Amino acid sequence: MNEIQTTLSKTGEAAAPALQLNTVRKRKGTGLQSTMGMIKNVIPYVLFFVVWELFSQLNGRIQMFNPLFLPAPSLLVHDGWELAQTGIITDSLLASSMRIFFGFACGATVAVLLAVLMSKFSMLERWMSPFLTLVSPIPSLALLPLFIIWFGIGEFPKVLLIAWTTFVPVLVNTVEGFKSVPSTLIRSALSLGASQRQVFTRIMIPSAIPNLLIGAQISLGLSFSALIVSEMMGADSGLGYLIVDARNYFKVTNMFVAIILIGIEYSLFALLLKLLERKVLAWRRGGIGEAVEKVR
Amino acid sequence: MKLIVEKVRKNFGERTILQDVDLTIHENEFICILGHSGCGKSTLLNMVAGYIFPDEGEIKINGEKIQGPSRQRGMVFQDHALFPWCTVLENVAFGPEVQGMPKKQARETAREFLGLVGLEAYGAHYPAELSGGMKQRVGIARALASHPDILLMDEPFGALDILTRDMMQRELRRLYEKLHTTILFVTHSISEAVYLADRVVVMKHGVVAEVFEIGIQHPRSFDSPGFADMMARIERLLMEDEEEVIV
Repeated sequence: MNEIQTTLSKTGEAAAPALQLNTVRKRKGTGLQSTMGMIKNVIPYVLFFVVWELFSQLNGRIQMFNPLFLPAPSLLVHDGWELAQTGIITDSLLASSMRIFFGFACGATVAVLLAVLMSKFSMLERWMSPFLTLVSPIPSLALLPLFIIWFGIGEFPKVLLIAWTTFVPVLVNTVEGFKSVPSTLIRSALSLGASQRQVFTRIMIPSAIPNLLIGAQISLGLSFSALIVSEMMGADSGLGYLIVDARNYFKVTNMFVAIILIGIEYSLFALLLKLLERKVLAWRRGGIGEAVEKVR
Repeated sequence: MKLIVEKVRKNFGERTILQDVDLTIHENEFICILGHSGCGKSTLLNMVAGYIFPDEGEIKINGEKIQGPSRQRGMVFQDHALFPWCTVLENVAFGPEVQGMPKKQARETAREFLGLVGLEAYGAHYPAELSGGMKQRVGIARALASHPDILLMDEPFGALDILTRDMMQRELRRLYEKLHTTILFVTHSISEAVYLADRVVVMKHGVVAEVFEIGIQHPRSFDSPGFADMMARIERLLMEDEEEVIV
């Protein structure tokens, strides 16, 4: 900066460039602030890995327990990279992503369609509700061995398990959403000349979407558990399989790599859902963020 | 347009909400139904809207029995009932759109009615971003955009603060004088009823107690001759058996 200033003043164009420099400096200032903020946010994450690294290194020296049990992050990066070069990581990620995507999409779609039918035909709801009360308390993972006996160890039972895990929370929440549409909204739509079908597509569905998304968020966590467990039982690909395989050969670093990848993949899917929610529910205001303004 | 309520009775379970209610509303009339909460005034309005049906008697509009909600009878609710996921403009355009008007034309109509209530600048906002009075203006614009024969209003200003309420009453009167829509307005405020209406129908315990012709010149205010007197008369009628209970 100083250099620039001196060269500029040498050329004798002091006033205008000084102004320019000011703006440059200002822009740089705000940039610096946002970088500072970013650093502040990142510090806890960095600290976590640094402490882990130091602890593992220390353990490697004094042998509190077998160092193989808790490999250092640096070793994980190294071994993870080696593993990636063999193509196993890409394959596993791809296999797991496909399963969760299809399972989640199928489960959610069927759940929403059924919820629509249930809200249209009270007869169906009367018959479905007791059935749901029967099956919804059963953790879906308990069904996995049964699914394997029925459908073998191919893709189908895995996708089915994920779909089933997704299905129940989405269905229950969407039905609840349809039921809690404010009656004045339906009444005003009817008084504005809307047909029954228009009331459904233009009032009931948008009203139920927040509940549907809550159901989807609950489902996503559960269906990831279903994914990993089903890959641990009778699979030859996927992140869950990677963990079991690593256990069989006592490659603890590979287990850690797989665990971390699961965390990352879940975060990505959750982020996608969050983005979708933000887009669909742009009309929503309020919440704690708007309730009370913070003192600066 | 002529609305006739004939010998209407309505029960909710064992309780009789309305009995023997007769009422005739003519074209371009501004009628207020006034009464304590629980006197059946909202029930009557909901029956005229077609949301619920009388157990006995009939409600006819232009000689036809009311079979359900219709765009003939626009409704404004106390909680405004705007669709929160639609912008203000989309809310007002909803009626014309579902009635089959092309989208572009419906928006044009909506813009026109938003202008009528002085909110043309807020078309792109969501209802949650508006104040209570503004939401209710949108509610009125939305109901009017369907060109109803009669506008039904269920304590529309009941949730507003007193200053906004005064302003909205003036605003509604201005709209009425401009459009001459027939209005059936439910309220529990005596001054609101006397300020707004041509006729005030006072209801007590599910029956029409008395109908007052308010012959006061518009624009009215508390100082208008006869205003205070009218309010006192209605208040006396409403308070009658309250005193009996105390004695």
